[in-house]
Amino acid sequence: MNFSSKLIERAVEGFSSLPGVGKKSALRYVLHLLKQDEDATKEIAAAISELKANIKECDRCHNISDTKTCSICNNDLRKQQTVCVVETIRDVMAIEETGQFRGLYHVLGGVISPLDGVGPNELNIDSLIDRIAKENIKELIMAVSPTIDGDTTIYYISKKITDPTVSVSTLARGISFGGELEYADEVTLGRSIVGRIPYSNDNKK
Amino acid sequence: MQINKLILNQFRNYEKATLEFSDQINCFTGLNGMGKTNLLDAIYYLCMTKSNFNQSDKHVVQHEKDFFRLEGHFLRKDKKETVAVKAVLGKKKIIERNEIPYKRMAEHIGLFPVVIIKPEDTLIATGSSEERRKFLDNTLSQLDQDYLKHLIVYTKILKQRNASLKDFAKRNFYDEALIESYNEQLVEPAQYIFETRKTFVDHFHPVFLKYYKIISKEQEVVNCKYVSQLLENQLQELLIQNKDKDKYSTRTNAGIHKDDIDFFIRDFELKKFASQGQLKSFILAMKLAQYDFLAEKGSTKPILLLDDIFDKLDTNRVKQLIELVGRENFGQTFISDTGADRLTNILEEVGLEFRHFLVDNGTINN
Ligand SMILES: [Zn+2]
Repeated sequence: MNFSSKLIERAVEGFSSLPGVGKKSALRYVLHLLKQDEDATKEIAAAISELKANIKECDRCHNISDTKTCSICNNDLRKQQTVCVVETIRDVMAIEETGQFRGLYHVLGGVISPLDGVGPNELNIDSLIDRIAKENIKELIMAVSPTIDGDTTIYYISKKITDPTVSVSTLARGISFGGELEYADEVTLGRSIVGRIPYSNDNKK
Repeated sequence: MQINKLILNQFRNYEKATLEFSDQINCFTGLNGMGKTNLLDAIYYLCMTKSNFNQSDKHVVQHEKDFFRLEGHFLRKDKKETVAVKAVLGKKKIIERNEIPYKRMAEHIGLFPVVIIKPEDTLIATGSSEERRKFLDNTLSQLDQDYLKHLIVYTKILKQRNASLKDFAKRNFYDEALIESYNEQLVEPAQYIFETRKTFVDHFHPVFLKYYKIISKEQEVVNCKYVSQLLENQLQELLIQNKDKDKYSTRTNAGIHKDDIDFFIRDFELKKFASQGQLKSFILAMKLAQYDFLAEKGSTKPILLLDDIFDKLDTNRVKQLIELVGRENFGQTFISDTGADRLTNILEEVGLEFRHFLVDNGTINN
């Protein structure tokens, strides 16, 4: 696209860097913003720049937070001895959306997958084990994805918990035949042939 | 089960082609490199969701093109069914059964069973143990969806376990809890695969013996024995015993990925003592027994693909094999051969109904 203005070009480029936004949509947003009051556009710009500058990770549960400790951890009305273990902050949002869970959370940051360079040390597992002792947590609900790697993560955390009075439960899980798995990637049922080897070189008989 | 029509689009050396098949015997003849094997591979692909010859779809798509499409019109259990493969390079390929795409391609395996016999099959006897496990896996996955599931799960856990052992070695540390987590996860799929393979080899043996006798015309006793560490010990225990070895070698030394089959002729190890002739008979018997087994125990009779296997055989043996295959218990069969006349002469002599396709560099005449 050819723009008569460098300013428009810069804004379009900014928007089109967002997931799912192409050049055409980006231009539509920019032209829309041009028609707005200056205050309105300043508000959007401020929201974006302050987001990155001021957002924190909760030092207790690793959820996103405006303060040192997040609003869920700070809520005394929530059950303090029950912790739901999730992979990402999106899982926290999804579970909060249901309004069914009244305990606390712990965000691991993923599941164990050495093939992807993610070992236990790359996840917030040590801090979870620390929390169990420090906060006298009695119940863990493992809400990680029902995959092989999710299973590994549950097994691993269970092994790391030394206090036998801590109960570990999982959400209802299907057979751990991960939906993300494809036999084509993992298993070969036939030979891959580079050079063909003759069936027999034997012409004696 | 049979395939009545095959439509190829930019598949290997075929720009566009449509073939209509006989429900009995179909012959593809032509010079080497003209695309006979590619036609067999197209049928194999529709049944197994993958090429038998190259693992990567990069090599399956026609030169300098970016997609291919295959469509097969099947008759399965008296019902017309369509299977289509659409592969665009760099994208996830789509397999459709009756116009409904699969979420998991693994679900397709076994519904349209297929057996391919090809020159490289002698490696089942002479190659590494991996060749024999692939023979087992190919057969059992087409018979049992749960077997394939457990195999996929086992393979994935094993890769993760090996990756973590390598990672430990690199960082000079060891996390026992992680290895134990993988150990526990391996037990269930390993046990299922072990038991299924063990039962299979027991049941397979008499069928195999029957075909060996027909093909070799010999009365010598041939034997196959399933070899697995799990015959001696539970996997959990084996993994503990191999803890240090695993640590130093940075891979997993115990499990069903070490399984093998030992073959014997008159108590002698086939690999070391068989003549070329015995070897050839042995492998043919194994593959025909595989067909028989799938036809007997599977959902429907497989398609049989014979790729270039008559190349080095004398006319009498070819005739004998065709007579065997032409008998009623074998279903629809596809044969590729370089010599056009030899094959059709034999078929006429034996009195079998067949359709003949002349393959010439991506074009087909019949
Ligand atoms: Zn928090």
